[in-house]
Amino acid sequence: MSSNDGIKKTLIVAFSLCIVCSVVVSTAAVVLKPVQEVNKTLDRKRNILAAAGMLEQGVSVETQFEQVESRIVDLRTGKFTDEVDPKTFDARKAAKDPSMSETLSAEADIAKIKRRGDYAEVYLVSSASGDLEKIILPVHGYGLWSTLYGYMALESDLNTVIGLGFAEHGETPGLGGEVDNPSWKAKWPGKKVYKDGEVELGLIKGTVDPSSANAAWQVDGLSGATLTSNGVSNLVQFWLGEQGYQPFIENLKAGEA
Amino acid sequence: MSEVKETLTQPILRNNPIALQILGICSALAVTTSLQVTVVMCIALTSVTAFSNLFISIIRKHIPGSIRIIVQMTVIASLVIVVDQVLKAYAYEISKQLSVFVGLIITNCIVMGRAEAYAMKNPPIPSFLDGIGNGLGYSVVLLVVGFFRELFGAGKLFGYQVLPVVTEGGWYNPNGLMLLAPSAFFLIGLFIWALRSWDKSQVEAPDYKIAKHTAVEEAA
Amino acid sequence: MGLRKILDNMEHHFHEGGRYQKWYALFEAVDTIFYSPGSVTKSSAHVRDGVDLKRIMITVWFCSFPAMFYGMYNLGFQANDVIAATGAEVGGWRGSLIAAFGGYDPASIWDCFWFGALYFLPIYFVTFVVGGFWEVLFAMKRGHEVNEGFFVTSILFALTCPPDIPLWQVALGISFGVVIGKEVFGGTGKNFLNPALTGRAFLYFAYPASMSGDAVWTAVDGYTGATPLSVAAAQGMTAVQEQWTWMDAFLGSIPGSIGETSTLAILMGGAVLLLMRIAAWRIVAGVFLGMVALSTLLNFAGSDSNPAFAMPWYWHLVTGGFAFGMMFMATDPVSAAMTNGGKWAFGILIGVMTVLIRVMNPAFPEGIMLAILFGNIFAPLMDHFVVQANIKRRLARVQ
Repeated sequence: MSSNDGIKKTLIVAFSLCIVCSVVVSTAAVVLKPVQEVNKTLDRKRNILAAAGMLEQGVSVETQFEQVESRIVDLRTGKFTDEVDPKTFDARKAAKDPSMSETLSAEADIAKIKRRGDYAEVYLVSSASGDLEKIILPVHGYGLWSTLYGYMALESDLNTVIGLGFAEHGETPGLGGEVDNPSWKAKWPGKKVYKDGEVELGLIKGTVDPSSANAAWQVDGLSGATLTSNGVSNLVQFWLGEQGYQPFIENLKAGEA
Repeated sequence: MSEVKETLTQPILRNNPIALQILGICSALAVTTSLQVTVVMCIALTSVTAFSNLFISIIRKHIPGSIRIIVQMTVIASLVIVVDQVLKAYAYEISKQLSVFVGLIITNCIVMGRAEAYAMKNPPIPSFLDGIGNGLGYSVVLLVVGFFRELFGAGKLFGYQVLPVVTEGGWYNPNGLMLLAPSAFFLIGLFIWALRSWDKSQVEAPDYKIAKHTAVEEAA
Repeated sequence: MGLRKILDNMEHHFHEGGRYQKWYALFEAVDTIFYSPGSVTKSSAHVRDGVDLKRIMITVWFCSFPAMFYGMYNLGFQANDVIAATGAEVGGWRGSLIAAFGGYDPASIWDCFWFGALYFLPIYFVTFVVGGFWEVLFAMKRGHEVNEGFFVTSILFALTCPPDIPLWQVALGISFGVVIGKEVFGGTGKNFLNPALTGRAFLYFAYPASMSGDAVWTAVDGYTGATPLSVAAAQGMTAVQEQWTWMDAFLGSIPGSIGETSTLAILMGGAVLLLMRIAAWRIVAGVFLGMVALSTLLNFAGSDSNPAFAMPWYWHLVTGGFAFGMMFMATDPVSAAMTNGGKWAFGILIGVMTVLIRVMNPAFPEGIMLAILFGNIFAPLMDHFVVQANIKRRLARVQ
């Protein structure tokens, strides 16, 4: 072993090992990068389709996603913008970038997200004749332990919910984690968002009484998970409200987006 | 031939890296909520251990003693990154669930332990087999833990509903604790208990024995 | 002395080589309930006292009775109150037994008590049978004695259950408490966690829907009614005071875990424990002072977003399981600190942690259970430092 411990030998071994390892690692990273990118977009597309209730088994996600058009919305003006390229736009990075986002004041920040990006990528589904059928809006907000990232899909009247699905969260399994439960998600379709121009949609404690006048704006709370339920209500309130997509939705209705 | 078999099978139950040496507990807690993820983690760890053992054994005669740990780390880390990249490319869903824990294989004591304790002193082929054997030992514990956690925590096995749960109209009320990391501690503990009842030689000698302080009174 | 004779005649069967050697633990347990143990201390350290482990445990068991009886009455009272208002019905065997021997009148003490007994007794029975099974099994396998510690564990566990808990969960919880909380460490005297609380904590994390929330505190199906503590955490003190007075909470006519509602009944039992020096007054005082200190501090600090900050100490005392935990759980002589200094530190830690969890943690309105388990873990460390400090001080005197 003594011959191995010389300075020269040590340096040679260390150096050559580093070369070999870095070549191996970077080759793997470079060669596999395209496949990983495809996976990432596929995963995002799958979540978007699932939120809109359009995901079908057996058909490739790519084909299904062809009917979806993605556009960037400037949340400050509430209009579509071409300043940002949807292909390279990364909403999460943008929300952290001070030049592309703004800090929210404590009262406005009901979803507890601290900063809101200036731009958002929305997804439109149009019929063959070109009329808007569905719109899918990315939303996020803080629950009990984690930020929930999800997509909210609305019908062409821009008031009726098609679905809400979360792509990522870290809530307690079995309690707040029930946001992933299909039977809970099935309670969303058909609910209304706005009542007299205000966001009314939200979760209530317990079960919705179907005979109640407000039943169309209420969804069952998650039992045993008050804080996650509040978080979901808040993020819906925030993103569909003044600070979120409401100006854009108004413009879209008026045909001025 | 029997020696080969020994290297391969000893770590599975007789000298299990988790149950006897209590190494690699961290990932055993983190990735065992569902069997599918567990299996992928087991494969990842087994291949990293096997190949790091192989490569380190090949260059063992050239590794200077003064930097041997960092050399081992470099080899292991490179392998882990490759595995992580492969998973991200070909098993994206699962790699998302495994999140950082594939990366954390680097710090898994089993990998380092085998490299230092075995591969540095033995030729490549036995080292490779030792890596596989220890990977299997790790896998056995993880699969057992994963089996119980997924079955009792979600009523599923490999994602298929085995016990119909209450929220979907069945009768089984899932045990939420099983989905939390501490349950793996209890399960590993029970596994070790069962293992040591079967193989008494693994039981450690007691640190001390309390002297009997009472005696049966003679009939008064 | 007929019984003594019968037992003596049987005894040889249970000794080594006898027919029922394996069952010795059970025999010994029965024998020593009636007579003092047949073995005496032979080593030099010797305390002459009529009280031994068995008598201590039985005393604790008796001391929990006021809380237990009041708990049964209150369980029925809370449920009957709701039934009178909503007209809900109790079905099944409980329904027929209530119809046969009682009624649903919230003003009738007997009706309420009978209703409560029909819910509590099955819980206690299951606890006792299942827990006792494990106790005896381990005693036989490991060759130690079955002791009355289990009387205490079983009653404390049953009293901390919410009224609506399914019985299979009771069985699972006590199994976990006895096996993992106690027996795996070598049985009574070697467990570092309180077994009853270990079992309860297991259920709390495994089946949160049955152990927390608003639907479990009243034994009427489908009825949701929050406990004062969760109302305080969610809506603040004014909302609590609209529904209950402090006297309600002190006397115990509030929804909650079966034996934890009446602070008065708990203090009655607790006073006996303190007088008999079974419960260490230093621990009780420490828990109380820790709670008062932190809750007062938080009252002064105040918070706009968290209404629980404003909860005064005398409300902390009477809501949730605080009084019960302080008197019966924290004072468990096995899992608490042993040294006097350690007892103070142990108590204060629990008091402070309870308020901290109650007020600061958004997910858990109640904190005494986790605080005591937390304290249990630190108890040996506290004792270690107290002992080391003592050794140091005395060494200094020698030199």
